[in-house]
Amino acid sequence: MISHNSILKRTLPMLMQCAEAHRKPRWLPVAKSKIFRIPKRPVISEEERIELLRINNNYKTQMRAIKRFYHEEMIKEKSTLESASSEMSQQLEAEEWERCVKINDTWNAQIAAEREERRKKELQEMEEFALARMEAKDKELRDRIAKASEEIREQKKLSSTFITPENLEEAIDKALANPVDYNFAIDLQGQQYLGRDTPIPTKEQKKAATNN
Amino acid sequence: MTTTVIKYVGRTTDFKGKTLWEIVGSLKNFGVGRIIVRSVFERYPEPSFMKIVKVETCPDEERRRVRVWVEKTFRGKKLEKLTEIYRTSYKPDYKLIPKHEEANLLKSIKDVHDFPDVILPRTIEMPPLMKKFIMKDHENKGMENLKEYVMPLSYNSSPNRVARIAEGDEKPTVQFTMGLGKPASPSLYEGVPLN
Repeated sequence: MISHNSILKRTLPMLMQCAEAHRKPRWLPVAKSKIFRIPKRPVISEEERIELLRINNNYKTQMRAIKRFYHEEMIKEKSTLESASSEMSQQLEAEEWERCVKINDTWNAQIAAEREERRKKELQEMEEFALARMEAKDKELRDRIAKASEEIREQKKLSSTFITPENLEEAIDKALANPVDYNFAIDLQGQQYLGRDTPIPTKEQKKAATNN
Repeated sequence: MTTTVIKYVGRTTDFKGKTLWEIVGSLKNFGVGRIIVRSVFERYPEPSFMKIVKVETCPDEERRRVRVWVEKTFRGKKLEKLTEIYRTSYKPDYKLIPKHEEANLLKSIKDVHDFPDVILPRTIEMPPLMKKFIMKDHENKGMENLKEYVMPLSYNSSPNRVARIAEGDEKPTVQFTMGLGKPASPSLYEGVPLN
């Protein structure tokens, strides 16, 4: 449940209003409530009408003259440009072309030199990287061989104690002579009593043992 | 045909009369030879009217329109060519002149205009900023400065044109300038210093 205080102390108001004017977007048709509205016809006095007409006519005449002037100028400029390009400036254009080709060649040479240098550097880096990798691989192999030979040596040392067909009888005799019993019992104190036949002391015996 | 009472609804209009088809469609032989008037052109003191020469009806999709060729007299001047009325034939602005008034209307045309001949200038002075701009431009390009900063005027062509454009060295009767000009109704500019 929302407390009365929390409503009073809220940061945002419960109802919000947009400050912008409420307007119909341009592309919507006339609102239903405005279909039969007839806008009032503006009333312009005769004096004002005449003056506005005169001013607007003046403006249109002036603007037409200016537009025509610039339009004609543009056409003139275009035609002069075209005529110039067709006759006299062909040589100029050829010279310009030559110049551009020269500049282009120098740029190409410069870029080629840079590229060569970069290629060399890249190749060297690649070689170094490959060498380092090969070395690492070699080292790893060597390590592995060393480890394996160590293992072999250990196993060889151990092999003297292996049971072979020659000393099989002896081993059996030895095992029979020394039987090993892995069974054990455990009491509440966690003491282990190894062997199946080990006698387990009674409570009294334990007490006596502790008293002494 | 009984006259219909017209009740106007909605926005007001300057037009007054009927559409051309409403007039022509109810006349014998589509009203060839009769005289019609557009009420908008009645604002001029000189008579303006049109005599129907030929009528062509339109398909059903264009039921408000009709194609009519007329001999047009505009501001007391008869045009040489026939005028076709099609695009504006739907406008409810045409009036039929009764037969007994036709003679009067034709008589009212005078051989000489009662308005003074207007001769329009061919050139206009450039606006001040444009003048300076062009001066600078010419300086930059190393060209000679112009003697007078004028540019040609262009007018919309219309068969109804009353004013004449000056030919050769003719002196125009009106001058167009790049300023406010002489106000048509000075009472609006009271207390405003002009120039």
